[in-house]
Amino acid sequence: MRTGILERLAEAAGDPWSYAAQWKRRTGRAVVGILPMNFPAELVHAAGALPLLVQQSREPITVGNAIFPTFYCGYSRSLVDQAARGRCEVLDALLFVDNCVQIIGAADVIRLTRPELPTRYFQLNSSVGDGDSVPTAERAFRSLRMELADLVGPVTDAAVTEAIALFNENRRLLREIRALRNHTGVLSSRQMQTLITSSMVMDRAEHTQLLTELLAELTAAAAARPAGVRVHLSGHMCHPPHPDLLDMIEESGATVVNDDLYHGLRYIATDVRADGDPLAALAQWYVDRDATVPCPTRVLSRTSWATYLADQVRATGADGVVMLMPKFCEPQMYHHPQLCEALDKQQVPYLLIETEHEGMPMEALRTRIESFLELIALRG
Amino acid sequence: MPVDVERAGGRANRLRSTATSGRMVTEYWNNLFTARERGQQVLWYNGQKVNVFAQAAGLAWCHGEAYSAMLAARHQEEPAQRAADARGFMGELCSYARTHIGCALMSDTADHVAEAGLVGGPVVHGDLPLPDFTISAYPGCSSGQQWDETLYRLFGRKVPMFNVSIPFLWGNHGDALAGPEWDEALAYVVRQFREMIRFIEEQTRRPFDWDKLSEIMYYIKQAATLRTEAQELCAAVPTPASYWDWIASIAPVNFLPAGPQLVEYFASVKAEIEQRIAAVEGAVTGERYRLYFDGIMNWNNLGLLAKKFASYGAAVIAGRYTHRAFWTKPHLIDPEDPLPGIATHFLLCPLNHSAADLIRFTLEDCRKYHLDGVVFHVSRTCRSMTSPQFLIAQAAQRELGVQTMMFEGDVADASFYDDALVTMRLEAMLEAIDVQRTRVA
Amino acid sequence: MATQTDPIPPYVMGVDLGSNTAKSVVLDSRGELVAHSVVQMGAVSKGGVRASIAQTLEQAGLTREHIARTIATGYGRRMVEMADRTFTEITCHARGAARMMPGVRMVIDIGGQDSKVIAVDANGFVEHFAMNDRCAGGTGKFFEVLAKAVEVELDEIGPLALRGSTEAQISSMCATFAETEVISMLAEDRPKEDILAAVHNAVAKRTVGLVNRVGIRTPIVMTGGVAKNPAAVRFLERALDVEIHLPAEPQIAGALGAALLALDDLRAMQRASAERSSAGPDGDAAGDAAVAGLADLEADLLDRQIRPDPAHGPACAHCRGAGSFVPLSIAPIDPR
Repeated sequence: MRTGILERLAEAAGDPWSYAAQWKRRTGRAVVGILPMNFPAELVHAAGALPLLVQQSREPITVGNAIFPTFYCGYSRSLVDQAARGRCEVLDALLFVDNCVQIIGAADVIRLTRPELPTRYFQLNSSVGDGDSVPTAERAFRSLRMELADLVGPVTDAAVTEAIALFNENRRLLREIRALRNHTGVLSSRQMQTLITSSMVMDRAEHTQLLTELLAELTAAAAARPAGVRVHLSGHMCHPPHPDLLDMIEESGATVVNDDLYHGLRYIATDVRADGDPLAALAQWYVDRDATVPCPTRVLSRTSWATYLADQVRATGADGVVMLMPKFCEPQMYHHPQLCEALDKQQVPYLLIETEHEGMPMEALRTRIESFLELIALRG
Repeated sequence: MPVDVERAGGRANRLRSTATSGRMVTEYWNNLFTARERGQQVLWYNGQKVNVFAQAAGLAWCHGEAYSAMLAARHQEEPAQRAADARGFMGELCSYARTHIGCALMSDTADHVAEAGLVGGPVVHGDLPLPDFTISAYPGCSSGQQWDETLYRLFGRKVPMFNVSIPFLWGNHGDALAGPEWDEALAYVVRQFREMIRFIEEQTRRPFDWDKLSEIMYYIKQAATLRTEAQELCAAVPTPASYWDWIASIAPVNFLPAGPQLVEYFASVKAEIEQRIAAVEGAVTGERYRLYFDGIMNWNNLGLLAKKFASYGAAVIAGRYTHRAFWTKPHLIDPEDPLPGIATHFLLCPLNHSAADLIRFTLEDCRKYHLDGVVFHVSRTCRSMTSPQFLIAQAAQRELGVQTMMFEGDVADASFYDDALVTMRLEAMLEAIDVQRTRVA
Repeated sequence: MATQTDPIPPYVMGVDLGSNTAKSVVLDSRGELVAHSVVQMGAVSKGGVRASIAQTLEQAGLTREHIARTIATGYGRRMVEMADRTFTEITCHARGAARMMPGVRMVIDIGGQDSKVIAVDANGFVEHFAMNDRCAGGTGKFFEVLAKAVEVELDEIGPLALRGSTEAQISSMCATFAETEVISMLAEDRPKEDILAAVHNAVAKRTVGLVNRVGIRTPIVMTGGVAKNPAAVRFLERALDVEIHLPAEPQIAGALGAALLALDDLRAMQRASAERSSAGPDGDAAGDAAVAGLADLEADLLDRQIRPDPAHGPACAHCRGAGSFVPLSIAPIDPR
């Protein structure tokens, strides 16, 4: 049965477009594509639609290269490629809120090549240290709600409150499973990623039910954590590292004990306040996200990613940090030196792996991972 | 018969009046480098033209991009870039940012500030004084905003920073440049200007001089009006001025102090252009091709590119960077109520437009200036300017039937430019134009 | 695998199976170099590595039975049949270079198809490293391609480059684009010396980039095939403004490091053996269990290439005293 749930989740995570198409046929309702990172998917759910956080496709980018430059991150390029190849036909709309220049560029190219797909943008103030951030976010979300009303259907406060409770529960279950996995290794990193990805693309009520069952099974099955060099995986702010890479890291002898990946802790670390005005609560959630796990895409934050990472490593007793950086991800490149300095100060070894959408030389990366684990082992 | 492009020949005939800009710019940098000696506070800013506020507040100001561009144009950028590399900033980062950050790192002054607090004295690579405070007003580019954030962190968060968030002109329901979306964006930016001015007052410990701002915007309006009028005269054949002349005029319009001298400068530029039209004198002798240049300037190869295009008789006449930035709608500036006019221009930054709008602007300019082709500088470390370039190229070919050519390079990092490839592609484009003309004929 | 009663043979071997050469080294039980060989192959091949091993054994006057432990490294490390385990070339180059030059703090290795920079601590262990294994830029391959383009033999490009002026620049890191640039320069009648100087400069620049990733420290040793090119060394010294030391045999650093790591294992095994034989009346039973446990552990580690975690389950009691794979040159780890 456990295999059954994981398989179901893996199927949806592996082919979100098919899942969404089936869901649409079954329910007759709209599917709204959303883009990472700070999008309040609860609003889409409250409108009665499926919020589908568009994932990077594993297909090589081909058509996209003719209309979008190749020196952009793999995720933005995959978005363009999927849209250009007609993979997004199931979407009734595409919505986003973040100011990442590469995502804006990708969405802009998409709407020119797919003019029939309503693409809407409601910009958040990335300057989270400003007093203005929460009110600006609330204004943006109210506009977003009105847009949803036009595109899909009315969004009542009660529906949003209900969605918030559901999504909080979903996040809570994911956190519990993640904690269980970090302590016992009952799931591989690939499987953990599947749980997060499936949450991003599936009907949240359906997913929550499956998680509840899965948690019970996993709790029963949990044993001692496998031995291995304890590593913290860091990076990948808005899309997942390739699961093959995660497998390879674990096969080489590492045990992942913690992470701050988007398809990991970042997605689930912060809940929305359950009481009071729901849109105000969502606006507050936007700022809270950065406070919980500092995000390098925000500016003038009062938190520090470098300090956070060093503290986390100390707290979890990780032996080293594997930094997974998508090639061309600017926010990560800007923060990289400070992260290294913070870890150097604590004498924590780290390894940088630049990831790409396709064509990663796995054998060469294996050598680096193995060298890193050997480095840790030999130093004791 | 297609003309052998190699034998076409041509020479750049640069405007003489732009030479004054060199002197004005040198004076500006020297003033900045000696600001501390005069007890003047220094503001670093990035993105849009915060200099008008700085001038009103009696500050010395430095536009980070301008500084990086200046170093690259003088071939002095490498030490700063190496310093950034050594610290761990990767080569794929925006090279404006990398160069500027490298400057701040070079004499360990950043660490010193972070440890000891603000120090008034230390200077960085090229004599640029460290800032007393910084303002970021970066439209359309999250990377630009993160660049300032990086400096803020490198300075140990001890150098106060203010961020003006500028909404992207997306256009959820059609026109992003008019209607409720525009109105809301404008109001939002104006609101932030007021907060920014309060921030400046706190840092300078004196009231903001609103009269001075009005005076500054009066001069900006005049200078910009002359500039845009002068640009429009280049629809003439042969063109009296080239893209490279407008590049030489970027420093004045972008960050030089606004005053009678600035107005005189653009008046002289316009006058020379008018003289040339009367005398039928072109910016390129033997003008055979008229081109558009999309992309930020490749500062490392300014002279090389100007010569190269001219040698084929190719007159580069207009570009997104020179014609869609820097106070392009002076009639919208009201010196008596300057904030909306300033906010308008911040929003109209060429990085802040949708691909659809940029296509429209490019096609407009191609028609206005009777252009044969579009050259795209695909600046390798800029993920803002480059995202719509493929679509602009396709639209230009489709709607106007003009030829297009793309070459990789970068704003400040010379290692991304490959001269042999550029030459080959340029020749190919010009040959294609020749063939097209033969067919039409 | 030797049983408890057989004497452990006194030699160890390190094998480095690279992209176009196979290197092997034999050390005696004191860590003295007994023999080594470098064999050029067309491509990675088991035949090449067998030939190298055979040559080295012959030189040493030994047979395989004399070799107690073999560690393999390099791109083809998993293809070395007689290896007891593998370590990556990073770990091995650091170890080998530290032996060749005690006190070294940085190893720059430019090989046929990749280049690496390794920061080494005071004990000769890897602290940080950076690799370029994604493209030919800055590797021996770059020299190969461009030597062909200027029609100069690979072993002559160094001396020629040293005579060239450094005016010309090659801006492309990509060997293919660099080739285009070189062809343009030839068409412009640039002297070959100048072109080759530009090629060497380009490789030096690329290497400086890698060095910056790790953070420069001295003294620096250069290993790998390209270290045999005097111009490559000279241009890099100029670019870094730092002296670069060259071992007598830069190509065998990896194999030497592997052999040293094999020696560490051997000594650990010998210690374990000595402890077993000094055990009390119940010693034999405990000893059998210890050996069996060690064998299990070895097998596990061969699969997983990790350091044994003494906190994990009762089997780890066998680790205590046997030590983890830590060379005796530093203090043994206290079991937790």
